[in-house]
Amino acid sequence: MSLSIKTAQESGLALCPKCHKLNNMGLNASKNARIQCSRCHGMFYPRKPHSLQYTLAWNAAALIAFIPANLYPIMILYSMGIGEPNTILSGIGEFVDHGLYPIAVIIFTASIIVPLIKIIGLFLLVYRVHTGVRLRPDKHSKFYHALEFLGPWSMLDVFVVALLVAVVELGFVTSVAAGPAINYFTLTVIFTMIAANSFDPRLLWDKKQGYENAKEENDD
Amino acid sequence: MNTIKNVKQLIACQQCDALYDTPTLKQGQSAKCTRCGCVLAERKVDSIDRSYYWSLAGIVLSAPAILLPIMGVTLVGQYHHASLLDCILALIDRGFFMIATLVFLFTLAVPVVRLLGAFYITYSFKFNRLKPSLLYFFRAFHHLDNWAMLNVFMLGIVVSMYKLLDDTELSVNMGLLAFILWLICSTMASIALDQDYIWQELENEFVD
Repeated sequence: MSLSIKTAQESGLALCPKCHKLNNMGLNASKNARIQCSRCHGMFYPRKPHSLQYTLAWNAAALIAFIPANLYPIMILYSMGIGEPNTILSGIGEFVDHGLYPIAVIIFTASIIVPLIKIIGLFLLVYRVHTGVRLRPDKHSKFYHALEFLGPWSMLDVFVVALLVAVVELGFVTSVAAGPAINYFTLTVIFTMIAANSFDPRLLWDKKQGYENAKEENDD
Repeated sequence: MNTIKNVKQLIACQQCDALYDTPTLKQGQSAKCTRCGCVLAERKVDSIDRSYYWSLAGIVLSAPAILLPIMGVTLVGQYHHASLLDCILALIDRGFFMIATLVFLFTLAVPVVRLLGAFYITYSFKFNRLKPSLLYFFRAFHHLDNWAMLNVFMLGIVVSMYKLLDDTELSVNMGLLAFILWLICSTMASIALDQDYIWQELENEFVD
């Protein structure tokens, strides 16, 4: 079934990622030549260049930044001059202690599960595209879109801390200060977003197509 | 040479590069890719008008949403409240410049610029003031697509309210209402904006 569908690249066409205009690749149709879009005049490539390498690099950076993000305190609560540092996990633990389970689940999902799933998922996608083993483009591209959608929601914890720092400012009685982990956590979120952006889902289909073509040639 | 003639009648899926004939769509219809299920092309209902009015409302609401206090706390007789702008200023005050910059970009600058951009584009279409520079403008506009996080900030407000309810007296201010309306306006403005239609019109006007 998938063989009956022709891709733009096979037909010597390339899609502008910004204005979605199909462009002729022209006579110098080398596979990844830089093209200027005839509609919006932007420069683009038929496929994102070095997509897998970039994704892998940003992903590794995100993973490294995720470690201090969890070890350092993200928020320090001062009451009567005594500071009580909270890491991401201990903050969630406090919600559980107070019986606020829905909020605990939301924060746990947004700040621990989503970044981890994004990092692991992107590593997995890169690995699958690289080797081409057991590649299911229909499933994997849906998975990729879910990852892309979830990205910004990890910023939740950062916004909560920013709000608390601004609102809870009652001098000596109570105040909230942000901890060093907030820097690392934000970096994690930004890095995973850039990693997801640099992955090109069209590679999934290209690889599958190439795999099937090679298999057919072997059979003949 | 066969392909050059047909390019205008063809369309490719943005997510998997599959090639199709351009579908003719009525308002409110959309076409999906048979291979990966993503939306290929869409013709939105009354796109220019709707996007124009939503973005106009959003621009008007952005000032109260940013400046009015969102919520306040009372503890041992002391009261303090904060607005969206106060959050950013408080972070700068404590020396978290990177976080302050990013919060400023994601919750203030990008949404405002997106609203202004959507307003400018739909204004040019509505009153027939198309300029060739709109091609570059709309292209730049697309760079901001992923970076508006008002909805995440809204969830942040809800979570921090729960956190504060526990041991302080929480009061909700007008800023929250303005912020919710602002969020709705900016979401609706970007949903209503029909990018395919705008590109097509700009192309017919200015490209060969």
